[in-house]
Order: sequence, then structure tokens, then C-alpha cells
Amino acid sequence: MGRYIITRILQGVITLWLISVAVFFILRLGGGNPIDYMLPEDATPEDYQLMTESYGFDKPIIEQYWIYNLNLMQGDLGNAMAFDRRPTVEVVWERLPASLHLGGTALVIAIVLGVTVGAVSASKPDSLFDRLGKILAISAQSMPIFWVGILLILLFSVYLGWLPSAGAVDGLAIKRLILPATSLGFFLIASHMRITRSTMLEVLESDYIKMVRAKGLPPRMVLWKHAFKNASIPVFTLFFVNFAGLISGAVITETIFSWPGVGRLLVDSLIQRDYPTTQAVIFFSAAFVLCVNIFVDVMYAWLDPRIRVAR
Amino acid sequence: MLRGADNELILRRPWRITAVIPKPVRRVNSALRGAPKLSLLFIVFALLCAAFAPVIAPYDPIKTDFSAILETPSSAHWMGADNQGRDILSRTIYGARISVRIAVIAVFLAASVGTLVALVAGVFRGWVDTVLMRITDGFMALPYLMVALMVVSLMGASITNVILVIGLLRWMGFARVIRGEVLRLMESDFVRLARVAGASRSRIMFRHIFPNVINTLLVLLTLEIGLAVITESSLSFLGLGVPRPEPSWGSMLRDAQQYIYIAWWSPVFAGLAITMLVMSCNLVGDWLRDRTDPTRRQL
Repeated sequence: MGRYIITRILQGVITLWLISVAVFFILRLGGGNPIDYMLPEDATPEDYQLMTESYGFDKPIIEQYWIYNLNLMQGDLGNAMAFDRRPTVEVVWERLPASLHLGGTALVIAIVLGVTVGAVSASKPDSLFDRLGKILAISAQSMPIFWVGILLILLFSVYLGWLPSAGAVDGLAIKRLILPATSLGFFLIASHMRITRSTMLEVLESDYIKMVRAKGLPPRMVLWKHAFKNASIPVFTLFFVNFAGLISGAVITETIFSWPGVGRLLVDSLIQRDYPTTQAVIFFSAAFVLCVNIFVDVMYAWLDPRIRVAR
Repeated sequence: MLRGADNELILRRPWRITAVIPKPVRRVNSALRGAPKLSLLFIVFALLCAAFAPVIAPYDPIKTDFSAILETPSSAHWMGADNQGRDILSRTIYGARISVRIAVIAVFLAASVGTLVALVAGVFRGWVDTVLMRITDGFMALPYLMVALMVVSLMGASITNVILVIGLLRWMGFARVIRGEVLRLMESDFVRLARVAGASRSRIMFRHIFPNVINTLLVLLTLEIGLAVITESSLSFLGLGVPRPEPSWGSMLRDAQQYIYIAWWSPVFAGLAITMLVMSCNLVGDWLRDRTDPTRRQL
């Protein structure tokens, strides 16, 4: 077991390092000169020279990469070029709580709604509720997040005026959170619903459920107390699988609702050609996804010994 | 009394006069059994819009008309006009052209890369397999949309770049699934016999294995095209996809978002077009998967 964990962590570190290399070279070789975007138009060549040197852009790219790597080992991802030129780690760090808030709420919405609807659908297959649920799942899978967001704004802010839309700073925090979190959670509802429904259907067919039913337990108890417990394992897996998708979704949702999170930071940094910040955001996101993946793998290996033995 | 090839069927269901229906039609009917017909119809409709946009669209999608700025849907502009007076119906029709083109080319690129990786990994095995699969894993760990945004913003927003980015960042699904198929096929008798007969590896790859993974490939293609439509419109929505003034559905929504308080119609139709196309692709993909492999049917 210990050996398995160590191998997985080592693989993760190597992958992360490869990603950092790829991102570094794509940014340095692909982009124009970021200094052009930073200096005012009347900047003298001396200013230009000074700026280039201060960011180390005058050195050969291999040397730049070496310095970058050395700093990376010490947890330093360089200074941002926009955002008051503070360390990028700091810039990302202060945006993190907003993103975690949003992502966490979205996940809760998706799980509560998806699992409930999925479980109830499974208890009455082919009923009206089941069919409506199926339609919800199919549309949730097909609607782009930004359209969901726009429709929600259209309905709840423009027409009903119940909830604030993008960029609102006044009002209760929870009120501001509802629309962005719902649009981010919406596409996750579909997968949670489908998996809950199909595993529940399987479980509900099993002998022990028939037994419990025969004993005369009320249907609600059968569903939630006996069936759901056994059906919840695949749902938990899905919970972790969704993290990567959540990051992509967050970039879009945070842009629509001007949410001050990490996703919005990425778009801002790209617009301002702030390479170090872009690099840091992608590095942290990849690290986050990798950590979650390793955690899931290790959990599985712990639950199911066959996985440890195979390779 | 009608006597057809399936005489019994006529007797049991006399209202269904099978023998009168010509054979080609019957063949098509049986091929489409259980198919999501509305979805297929919508895909055909979208393809027609894409192909004949200049003929169908009532207005020029790019020309601005200041007398029609933010006009509500009317008989002149069925879907209303946008903030520059451009007809939204025409822009939506032309949008199909851009979305379909980008999605189809990008997914074919992704499928080619992925299938090639899968074939090489599955046929050569050993260290080649290990290296290729580790690379696949690495690509899979990338925060996809973030990297796509970064690359497009560096290379410049253009249709070609969007195609390249989607094509080169989405091949991993193909590689993973098809490699599994290839490994299974490599164990089958006909491949063993081909090897005994002295067929070269490339011959085994393309003559024996490839024709047998086409079904799986087709299912993946359909499902991935839907995802590619979403990715393209997401990039365009964030301002890093198809450049203006090209009428992409994503950039239409980007423009519309600013006028949402005064013009409800401007974001509705483009979003509806994306959703319908993606939904159709998903449903057709699910159907194809069930047809080729009934055991994997979703409950």
C-alpha cells in the first residue's frame, strides 16, 4: 500500500513538472514581447532595457528556464507583471477563497439536486417524474454554461428582479452566490442524476431490498435508508471526477458574473499578457486536479486490493 | 390477401401492409430503428444551413444597419436585430457554418491523432505503449479550457487556431478508448493468424485492426463533435475564439450579454442553436453506441 502511494505521488510530481515545462515554453516561444504591453507609448529605450533586464528576458531561454525551475523548487513562481507586480503565488492565493466558495456551492447544488432527482426517478421508472428528470439531464448536458448563466440572469435579475446579476457588490453574499453557483452546478446535475439513477435501479432489484420490502418497511425508508447507502459509492467517485470539469466551468462562470476568483484571474492575465500569472494559475489548477486524482486512486487501492496488485 | 416475404407479420398486424412498402425504404426504416429522429433531422437541418447559408439567410450577417439597432423580433427580423442592427436570424444561420466547420475538422484531427496513438500503442506494446500512455495521461491532467485559452491568446484568435487547439487537446479520449479495443482485438484469432501468416505490423494495424474499431470511432466522433461545438463557442464567448465580426454563436452571446437588460431576444436564439446542435449530437451518439454495443446501454 505504502509503495503504491509513493509511486502514484511520484508519477503525479513528474506529470506536474512536465506540465510546467510545456506551459513555460509555450508562453515564452509563442507570445510576443510582454514588455511592449507594460510600458507606456512614450517609454525610452533605456526604460525598455531596464524592464527587460528586471524580468530576465534578456537572458537566453534555457537560462531563463533554469532560473524559473530553481525558483519553482522554493515555491516561488515569479512576480506578476500586472496586479501591482506582486508575487504570483500571492495573487492566486487571494483569489482562491472566492473560487472555492463558488465551486463548493456548485458541487453541493449538483449533488443534492442530482442525487435526489436520480434516486426518486429510479424508484418510479417511466413515471412522469422520471421522464421530466431525463429531459433535465439531457438538457443540462447540452447547454453551454455561459448560456445557462445568461438565461438565469435574464429570468432572475432582469424579469423577476430577485437576485443581483454580474458585478454586484452590494446585497447579501449568499444572494450574490446563488446565480453563479447554479449555472456552474447545472451541468454537473446531469451526470450525478444519471449515475444515481442507474445504480439505484440495480440496487432496487437486489434480493435484500425485496426482503426489506416484504418486511413492510415504508417505501421512503427502503429508498433512502437501505438502497441509497449501497448506491452511493459510484456517486462519490463521480464527485471527484468532476473536479477537472469544474475548473473549466469556473473560468466561464466567473467571467460572466465578474466573480473575483482564479478563473477570472486567468482571463485577466491573458488579456494583460501577464505570463507569470497565467503560468501560476495553470500550475495551481493542474496541481489541484492531480492531487484529487491521486487521492481518488489511493482511496480505491485502499478499498479494493486488486488495484494495488495490478501494476 | 397480400402475400409478402413476412407473411406472418401481415396476418398478425393487418394494418401494416409491409409488402407495399418498397424495399429500400424498409431498409432505411430498419436501419433507423429506435433512432432519435428529431435529432437526426436537426443535424441535417444544421448541415443544410451551413452549406447554403448565403441562399437561406435573409440578410447579410456582417453588414450593420443603424435603423434596426436592437429591433424586437418582427416580420422583417424574425429573431430581432442585435446592437449593431444585424439580423439575428441571418447571423444564427451563418453561425452554423462556422460551428459545424470548426467542430468537424477539429474532431477529425483529434480522432486521427488519437487513433494513430492507440493503434501504435496497442500493436507495438512494451515501452512504446508505456511512453504513449504516459503522454496521454499528462495531456489528460491539463486543465483543458485554460490551456486552450492560453494557446489561442498567444497564437492569435482565428478559426484555424481554434481548430488546431481543439484538435490537439482532445485526442486523449480517442486514444484511451480505442487502445482498449485494439488490445482486445490483438488477442483475437484472426489477428493471431495474420501474424502467423507473416503480415507486417503496419498491415495488421491498418488492414486488420482499424476496420474493426470504426464503430467505436464513429460513436466517439459524434459525441466529441457536440463537445467541440461547446468548446468553440466557449472560446468565442470569452473573446478568444472566432474573431469579430464573423457570426459565431459564442461571440454573438458575448455581444448580447451587454444588452441583456433591454434586449432579451439577442442571447436567446444563438444559445438555443448551440444547445439543440449539441443535444442532437449527444442523442445520436448515445443511440449509435447502443446499436453497436447493446451491453453498454445506459439505464
